[in-house]
Amino acid sequence: MQSNNDLNILSRFNILYLEDDEQLLKQTTDILEDFVNKIYPVSTSKEAMEVLLNNKVDVIISDILLEDENGIEFLQYLKNEKNINIPTILTTAHTDTKYLLDAIKLKVENYIVKPINIKELLNTLYVVLLPIAQKEELSKQNNLIKVISLVTDSKQVDVIKFILDNLDSENLFVASYTDIMEKISISKPTLIKLFKTLAEYNVLVKTQHKTYRFNEKALEDISSLL
Amino acid sequence: MKNSTLSKLLFFYEKLDFKYKTSFLVFIIAGGMLWIIIFSQLSVFIIKHDFDILFETRTQNLIKLEKIKDTYNVNIQDTLLDLAAKEISYKQAKDVLELGLGIIDKNWDEYKKSTSLDESESFIKDLLSDDQGFYENKILKQNIMKNINEKLNKIKTQLQYGLQSEPRTKKLSDIYLQIDSISVYITSLINYDLSITVNEKRNTQKNFNTILILSIIAIFLVFLLSIILSIFIINNFMILHNSLEQKVTDKTKELTELNNYLEIKVSKEVAQNRKKDIIMFQQARFASLGEMLNNIAHQWRQPLGSLTMIVQGFQTKSDLGKLTPEYIDDKVKDALMLANNMSNTLEDFKNFFRPDKTRKEFFIKECLEHSFELSKYILDENGIKSILEIRKDIKINTFYNELSHVFLNLINNSKDAFLSTDVDKNDRIIKVITKLHKGTLHISFIDNGGGIPDEVAPKIFEPYYTTKYKSAGTGIGLYMSKQIIEKHMDGIISQKNIMHKIDGKINYKCSLFTIKIPTKTDKGEMDAKQ
Repeated sequence: MQSNNDLNILSRFNILYLEDDEQLLKQTTDILEDFVNKIYPVSTSKEAMEVLLNNKVDVIISDILLEDENGIEFLQYLKNEKNINIPTILTTAHTDTKYLLDAIKLKVENYIVKPINIKELLNTLYVVLLPIAQKEELSKQNNLIKVISLVTDSKQVDVIKFILDNLDSENLFVASYTDIMEKISISKPTLIKLFKTLAEYNVLVKTQHKTYRFNEKALEDISSLL
Repeated sequence: MKNSTLSKLLFFYEKLDFKYKTSFLVFIIAGGMLWIIIFSQLSVFIIKHDFDILFETRTQNLIKLEKIKDTYNVNIQDTLLDLAAKEISYKQAKDVLELGLGIIDKNWDEYKKSTSLDESESFIKDLLSDDQGFYENKILKQNIMKNINEKLNKIKTQLQYGLQSEPRTKKLSDIYLQIDSISVYITSLINYDLSITVNEKRNTQKNFNTILILSIIAIFLVFLLSIILSIFIINNFMILHNSLEQKVTDKTKELTELNNYLEIKVSKEVAQNRKKDIIMFQQARFASLGEMLNNIAHQWRQPLGSLTMIVQGFQTKSDLGKLTPEYIDDKVKDALMLANNMSNTLEDFKNFFRPDKTRKEFFIKECLEHSFELSKYILDENGIKSILEIRKDIKINTFYNELSHVFLNLINNSKDAFLSTDVDKNDRIIKVITKLHKGTLHISFIDNGGGIPDEVAPKIFEPYYTTKYKSAGTGIGLYMSKQIIEKHMDGIISQKNIMHKIDGKINYKCSLFTIKIPTKTDKGEMDAKQ
């Protein structure tokens, strides 16, 4: 099981839970609501549609066999007719290949066999939602860098960007000051000063002539110090 | 030698076909009869002929000869005596004499004629007696006749010419002499004729005797042959009879053996059939048991899922430090409710499979609803709707579980029909209508699964007949249902395809099973051994 820290990312998301067995719906909702931002428990596709139209839903958990209808058919309808592409986890008591094939065709994210193991469900949710969380994190970081470059010397930020972009597989940076200055219009003293500062923090260590090692671990130590 | 040929002949005859034997006998009898008839006719003809001859030729001739003799003796001699005594004149005498001579001539001519006629003998006589000539001396007769002829002429001449003048005495005595001699001749002729007659009579006697003997021989032979042949034929009959009797006995024996064998076989078959039936009942039971297990599994799956979730809930809540007494109370209540439901489900199925062999009174509605409840999983899984139109709360006295079994079979059958014909999932309907009619419960079980194909319909109640794929059916569901309805409940079950408006909407092609069961029966305990 992942640590609770990892599952914390779930708390940002909303879940639509479609299950026709009222008891199971209630019990599962009671557990899941502790982990997620909001859970919408519904027992029919009609209710589910209503929720989808009026709320932000990040992931759908759906039973395959519903009262008088089929979960896969509903999801197909969503994707093909309504063009709503929300990650989906299917739950079912059936391990029939027929259902599995349909699920694969539908590019369903995952598939859980009943009775539901709540940890398995949570892990699955984590796996499904992690890329979304990371994507959000990434855009946040980008935004952060952009803001920082606005308030500080943008030339220095450009040089660091250049160094990170040109790292090889062993985190080695090979270039002379001249090479850098050809790419970025920066004065030599400023450049030397920047390299010195980086060396001081043990982030960019000179190993050979024109060769520097980028030390990721040192960066983490610094952020923890801050 | 002769004996051996005879025995050979008999042997040959014995070997002959029965058909030829009888024809031979008929031939012998017919031939013998013909022979006897011919001989008897022959003898009658000969005797008649002899009579005729005796009277006509012999007796008549004798009379004629006697007449001649008498005429000579009486007429001529007397006239001549009278003439000699001169009692009459010559002229008178001559008239009398001429008259007498005329009579004599006439008779003599007739005699001669008849004797010459006599020569033509009948062929029968020729046939029978070739030795008749030995007693007939024709030369002697002719001699006598010639003498008589001469004497007659002499007398005639003498009478005509010798008596005209006197003295007549000498001439008369001469005539007397002549007459006497002619009398002698005639007498000898008569004697001769008589002797011939006697001979002929003897001959006739002889002929008669011969014919009689031949007839007797013929009769005897025919009789003998008939008896012999009859014996042969009777023997043949006896042999035939015996052989037939033997055959009949053999056949009877064979038949008895066959009968015994068949009896044994039939009883064996019956026993085997019984065994088969028992096995089939068990199989049907197992099949339903399997289906029921499937049902239980599904009906348990849901509460089991919820229970699992509740248990896991305790852990996650505890991990998060959110395990409050209220939460525990709430979840325990839920869990107990779920467990109780599961227990009830189990109890239901257990009741269904309890070998309940006593009749009891119950409402048909109860049984039908229970059956549909038990099949809920099948119905739900395949999207089959059920409409129960139970028009009257009818009480029935029969075997609850068995009837429920029948309904389950019918539901299962309908489900298979829906699956095989791919009826639209939203249009799958089973409709049950019950009615009471003159103490008989009518249950109409309708599904809109398209009906049963005509070529299959007559076979649906046969054991092991199934249209279902591979493991889908055992093929005994409907057979068992028929057995249960007809043997245990004295009812009738039948099927036909109909067009029916379910819910008054669309006209569906439907299959209709009709079950008719008397609501009350005299039968006590169930008689079937299963």
